[in-house]
Amino acid sequence: MRLKATTAIALITFAAAPAFAQDKAEVLGTYADIAQAGYEDSLTTAQTLQAAVETLIATPSAEALQAAKAAWLAARVPYQQTEVFRFGNAIVDDWEGKVNAWPLDEGLIDYVDASYGGETDENQLAVLNVIANPSFTLGGEEVDATEITPALLEGQLHEAGAVEANVATGYHAIEFLLWGQDLNGTEHGAGNRPWTDYAAGDDCTGDNCDRRGQYLKAATDLLVSDLEWMASQWAEGGEARAAVLADEDAGIDAILTGMGSLSYGEQAGERMKLGVMLNDPEEEHDCFSDNTHNSHYYDGLGVRNVYLGEYLRVDGRVVSGASLSDLVASADASVDEDLRAKLNASMVELGQIKTAAEAGFSYDMMLERGNAEGEALIMGAVDALVGQTRAIERAVTALGGDEIAFEGSDSLDAPEAVFQ
Amino acid sequence: MRSLLTATFLLTAAPALAGVNDVIRDHALPGTARFASATAALDAAAQANCTDTALRPAYQEAFDAWMGIAHLTLGPLEEDGRGLAIAFWPDTRGMVGRSVARLVAEEDPIATSGEYAEVSIAARGLFALERLLYDEDFAGYGAESYSCALAQAMAADLAVLGREVDTAWREDFATTLSSAGEAGNSRFLSPREASQALYTALATGLEFVADQRLGRPMGSFDAPKPQVAEARRSGRSLRNVVLSLEALRDFARTLSDQPTPETDAAFDRALTAARGLEDPIFAGVADPISRIRVEALQNDVRAISEAVGTEIAPALGVSVGFNSADGD
Repeated sequence: MRLKATTAIALITFAAAPAFAQDKAEVLGTYADIAQAGYEDSLTTAQTLQAAVETLIATPSAEALQAAKAAWLAARVPYQQTEVFRFGNAIVDDWEGKVNAWPLDEGLIDYVDASYGGETDENQLAVLNVIANPSFTLGGEEVDATEITPALLEGQLHEAGAVEANVATGYHAIEFLLWGQDLNGTEHGAGNRPWTDYAAGDDCTGDNCDRRGQYLKAATDLLVSDLEWMASQWAEGGEARAAVLADEDAGIDAILTGMGSLSYGEQAGERMKLGVMLNDPEEEHDCFSDNTHNSHYYDGLGVRNVYLGEYLRVDGRVVSGASLSDLVASADASVDEDLRAKLNASMVELGQIKTAAEAGFSYDMMLERGNAEGEALIMGAVDALVGQTRAIERAVTALGGDEIAFEGSDSLDAPEAVFQ
Repeated sequence: MRSLLTATFLLTAAPALAGVNDVIRDHALPGTARFASATAALDAAAQANCTDTALRPAYQEAFDAWMGIAHLTLGPLEEDGRGLAIAFWPDTRGMVGRSVARLVAEEDPIATSGEYAEVSIAARGLFALERLLYDEDFAGYGAESYSCALAQAMAADLAVLGREVDTAWREDFATTLSSAGEAGNSRFLSPREASQALYTALATGLEFVADQRLGRPMGSFDAPKPQVAEARRSGRSLRNVVLSLEALRDFARTLSDQPTPETDAAFDRALTAARGLEDPIFAGVADPISRIRVEALQNDVRAISEAVGTEIAPALGVSVGFNSADGD
């Protein structure tokens, strides 16, 4: 899930008046406040998940598994709204692969169905199955996995063999451990892992229940500590907040880059259009839990949040302030009006997918070969996101001419440093 | 505020449409015509004799023609996902091999249904057909086999895509580009937006060569991945780099309405390096000595990106817009 975008748009303000600079600082302050609140909400909901996981491991039952699943679903609501901070903020982008990497070759982690297949050109570790194997060789070296710890997952397994599909940590690894593989293809239904995969003694199904529990706990603990770290980066005095506020033009650039890159290449392209064209239910973003409709919906909402400068927290409080929308409107009111309309149109389209999925027409059914209604729903949202991206490009232009920052590197570390 | 808007106005006032019309006439339309005719020839060859050895020459021709337009990712190749259906690569999850294997194992009747365009893009286009024609798991099939009929279906589907792309460019998208900024054109609100879209395709195309065609097989020094080189089964990995650089050079020249000495020199350096490489499928990335030459070529391609950024973009008064490669 690493950013491969090597282009960025850098805004160069030609002769900004002082009052305008003041506005920008306020807009950036709102942006950082929304990021901080979003990661804090992600943290508290992940802590709830952590408690539910501990209960599941201590006293396994169908109810305990269900409670953990419910906690995971709730945790995704704030987290997906933070995805807009990824692109354009190097500190987030360098980190996010630990928590939200996808898609994954789940055979690395646990048992899989025979239909999953074996090693591929791309991944020789696709069926490693760490839960079943206390020791194995990785890149010619013997690895001791007797204890499954956060250090093992983070340090040795994650992206093992430099293969991005070897996802050992984060939301989707946990999702797989809670739901299991979705073997329903493009039929309705999510993964159906039995709670007895965590049961003790003879009740244990799928073998190695204790090691599965160890893995789940290690991955959840790691998620909590990773989110804790990111929330603190956006707090007062944090590095992410400081980076955004350090250079006003680069900060505004980061907001727009994040909005455009998530809308277009990532969400409309990689996650939605590609999935529908592959007819592959594994291309669902939350494929084990069948929660993809929400994943897409809250990604879209996150883009809208940062433009309008308003975020609704998980406890109902609202974070709001001077917005990028205000800034664009003062440069060109019609561009702002158009962008707001396009953001709303995307939310309507994404809302239709969510509505249909919640009523039983799940996202994997929409991906079925020849399913015209599903394709129309998804492509409607794709088209809206593409339209939204063009409006974002117009906002870039309206905000003050532009100069190219075209990077030859693999990151967005310092777009403003190029070609000045 | 006032000074900001003035600056914007000056930038966007640069005349930019000359290059757009040149691109349409001298680069895009000849390219789509060639791809349409090459895929039609592939289809005709498949209907006459669908065995692997008979089809390979027409396949290579069609792939060559694709390299002439693969970078034109805006418009007809983006619409309906045609570009992905023609060439689904990189295939990070091994979908192509799995999808083709499933069709062959199940002898899925979709191959002879006349509705092959319904299948997953992983089972369509040049990379799916490459498996049938070159992969030892599939090649060598008989004239009466299911695989032969499947090759015919894939070739016919490619011919339809080739024709659609050419027609859509000729009858629709060429006008959309050249009428940028005119009343009724909601896609390009100003001539500058058309120039910017083409420039973004140029920049993205160069990045794709450096990061994907070269970068993917390079992997890292400790974990090189020659097995994921583009079209290695048909022996085309390096050839695709050379042909796409040639096409991008042609694209850059037609887009710019001023001399571009730095860009030309950068292209020359990269093309000379690529043609001298003698490593057709980048097997050498696993060897520290020959790896250096692939790395050097990648740096040469990145130098082209820098040259077009400093030379062509300012002359057109544009920047790089968002592109479909942003994201993962």
